[in-house]
Amino acid sequence: MIELSIDGKRVMAEEGATVLEAARAAGIGIPTLCYHPGLPPDGNCRLCLVEIERKGKRELVISCMYGAREGLVVHTRSSRIWKARSFVLKMLLERTPDDPLLKRMASHYGVAFEERFHVESDPCIRCGLCVRACEENGTEAIGFAKRGWEREVSAPFEEPPRDCTGCKACAVVCPTGCIDVEEEGDVRRIWGKDFRLVRCALCGERFATEEELAHMGLEGDEAKYCQRCRKMLFSARFLVGL
Amino acid sequence: MVRIGMASCGIASGAVPVYEELRSILAGESSVEVKRVGCVGLCFREPLVEVDMDGVRTIYGDVTPEFAAQIARSLLKGELPESHIVYSDKAEAPENAVLDGQMRVVLKNSGIIDPEDMGDYVARGGYKAAKRAISEMQPEKIIETIEESGLRGRGGGGFPTGRKWRACREAEGDIKYVIANGDEGDPGAFMDRSLMEGDPHSVVEGMIIGAYAVGAGRGFIYVRNEYPLAVKRLSKAIEDARRAGFLGRRIFGSGFSFDIEICRGGGAFVCGESSALMRSIEGLPGVPRVKYIHATEKGLWDSPTVLNNVETWANVPTIIEKGPEWFRSIGTEGSPGTKVFSLVGKVKKSGLIEVPMGMTLKSVIFSLGGGILKDRTFKAVQTGGPSGGCLPASLLDLPVDFDTLSSAGSMMGSGGMIVMDERTCMVDVARYFIDFLSDESCGKCVPCREGLRAIQKVLHDLTGGRGRKGDDELLKDMAERLAETALCGLGKTAANPVLSTLRYFPEEYAEHEDGYCRAGVCRGLFVASIDEGLCVGCGSCKALCPAGAISGRQKEVHRIKASACIGCGSCLDACPVGAISAARRDAP
Repeated sequence: MIELSIDGKRVMAEEGATVLEAARAAGIGIPTLCYHPGLPPDGNCRLCLVEIERKGKRELVISCMYGAREGLVVHTRSSRIWKARSFVLKMLLERTPDDPLLKRMASHYGVAFEERFHVESDPCIRCGLCVRACEENGTEAIGFAKRGWEREVSAPFEEPPRDCTGCKACAVVCPTGCIDVEEEGDVRRIWGKDFRLVRCALCGERFATEEELAHMGLEGDEAKYCQRCRKMLFSARFLVGL
Repeated sequence: MVRIGMASCGIASGAVPVYEELRSILAGESSVEVKRVGCVGLCFREPLVEVDMDGVRTIYGDVTPEFAAQIARSLLKGELPESHIVYSDKAEAPENAVLDGQMRVVLKNSGIIDPEDMGDYVARGGYKAAKRAISEMQPEKIIETIEESGLRGRGGGGFPTGRKWRACREAEGDIKYVIANGDEGDPGAFMDRSLMEGDPHSVVEGMIIGAYAVGAGRGFIYVRNEYPLAVKRLSKAIEDARRAGFLGRRIFGSGFSFDIEICRGGGAFVCGESSALMRSIEGLPGVPRVKYIHATEKGLWDSPTVLNNVETWANVPTIIEKGPEWFRSIGTEGSPGTKVFSLVGKVKKSGLIEVPMGMTLKSVIFSLGGGILKDRTFKAVQTGGPSGGCLPASLLDLPVDFDTLSSAGSMMGSGGMIVMDERTCMVDVARYFIDFLSDESCGKCVPCREGLRAIQKVLHDLTGGRGRKGDDELLKDMAERLAETALCGLGKTAANPVLSTLRYFPEEYAEHEDGYCRAGVCRGLFVASIDEGLCVGCGSCKALCPAGAISGRQKEVHRIKASACIGCGSCLDACPVGAISAARRDAP
């Protein structure tokens, strides 16, 4: 364990933890948009900026990637941080003015939408959580295409992605909910592609897609029952000693 | 010996037919050797032919194939033509000051040797430093030498090279890499291209020494894909060096093995950013990463990596050869050595120059550059590429080195220098560079992707006559926030064009808010006005005016009907005596 100071408070953190992790564990709130505890950090939304003291100066760093170190002094509230976060939120709001989460954050920082900078409305904030989720699943079916202002999440050649397994992890992690998933009967439609849902042999819940099970190499009970039923069946067998 | 400048600049100006003409006449003449060489720097007089008679150099400029034939025939008679001389070792010539006022360390071979002939490079002492370093020096000693020399990164950052090498040497890991950054992307910059085209072996030799010092077994030269000639010449250099045993297994018979590969750039400005460049070599899109862990610890494929600009690498052999004290004796205390600049814009003698650090901007622009085109008034010089800054006339006495430029709000960058005159609108300049940077942003982080777009919007409003009161303050605020919040070096410095023009030319921003462009550049934000005392009645303006707003007879004073003037600026450029200026729209 290492000890650091955040907003004058002594905070213990595990070796290898980031400043964000250390702060959140200590109950100190830092806003984020492109961060997810289950995915590798990317540092693109710049909202989690904090100040650290280094060589007698205060420096802005992003807490989701800056490593906590023994004796590190961190400040999460200052007018500089406030201004930096306001700028980032304002810039995001200009393009995504209708998203409830962004609107809430912007109003907290006193940021208002201004028609002058508005060019188009787009619910996607390009945080890339969907892309990272897909990478972590080992599918890499979607990625970023184009650059600059035109950068966008896309499947290769904007066609239904060949490697997609329909697991919808991308849609689950999306902070603005802008990835469309439709489910009708046993069919799930995502990224312009249809997937057949598998029903649990016990409870009947549609718990995965056929492609997802194949991608994970699951067969037998694992491909037949949903996670909850599998757990239940396992404990039942364990208890009766089968 | 006859040398023809055949870097991209020479070829573009027509050096190929000149070369063919010389060859066809001098073929079979054993007394005269015809050599294709790199850029000697006098780009404004290309194509250039240099005649070297027993070490006495005479350079001919603006050479046509016909004049080339004349040179060849004179040479056969043992004579030299007397016209077209731009430089001479022993006589007065118009461009003597341009070449003699320079100090060529990095470019010492450029324009002299045939870049595709390793023998030429070796004959001028090439690979001696690498051989000495590997067979006689300990890696530690090489790093000490580079540290003592005070060499700083020529790519723009100015980070001490020795310190970088030491960090990489001391980093844990069996596999280490060295990389040369030749992904020059700044508009108006061609230093790195000229170096790679003119003296590719100097980069290769520098990398061999560096690799030995840090313990790297593999190196990459990342070259901009739009530089096919540089790619070709570097490939040839690497192949020849390999064949000679300077690259590959057991270099110079030692136990050290090292090889270099060329990696062609991904076609984006951002690929010149170090972390994006490494991703690009790895085969991923050129997108920067957060660099809280230095590349010297975790760089290419997460191995310790030294990345230096090609010009930095090319300095290394000379430092090993002549010693750190020699290097320190050139330039300034904080920035020793020389720097290569590409001097372009509204300057009379644009070209490639190498000068000791600490030379004033004035000397560079007026002594070497010959002053401003059409003898107009100097307004600003932009140093450091698109993310550099614009410095005004009051700072012309500023010595050019890493620290003074950054404290003045600009930066050294890789060495582009764009000169601007009174007919340049500073708001429009900021708009141009922000347009460029916004186009070239990778789009990963919010401030650069969305913020540059917003800044761009305000600048377009100002130059388009839709500016609002307070836009200067708004721009300053956004630009400062962008600099603080962006992810990579490119985003952090992208605000510089706005911040430096706001700092030195605030009045132009204020005028644009009122709908006036004093430079007569922003369309519709001025009316042309003729100074009747200066007008010679030549009619040039009248002939060009698309709105028919100008009247007057030949040899008589011309007049402009303000209500008809659309503010396009054609007449301002056309007037040979500078009698037309841009006036406020509401002025009587």
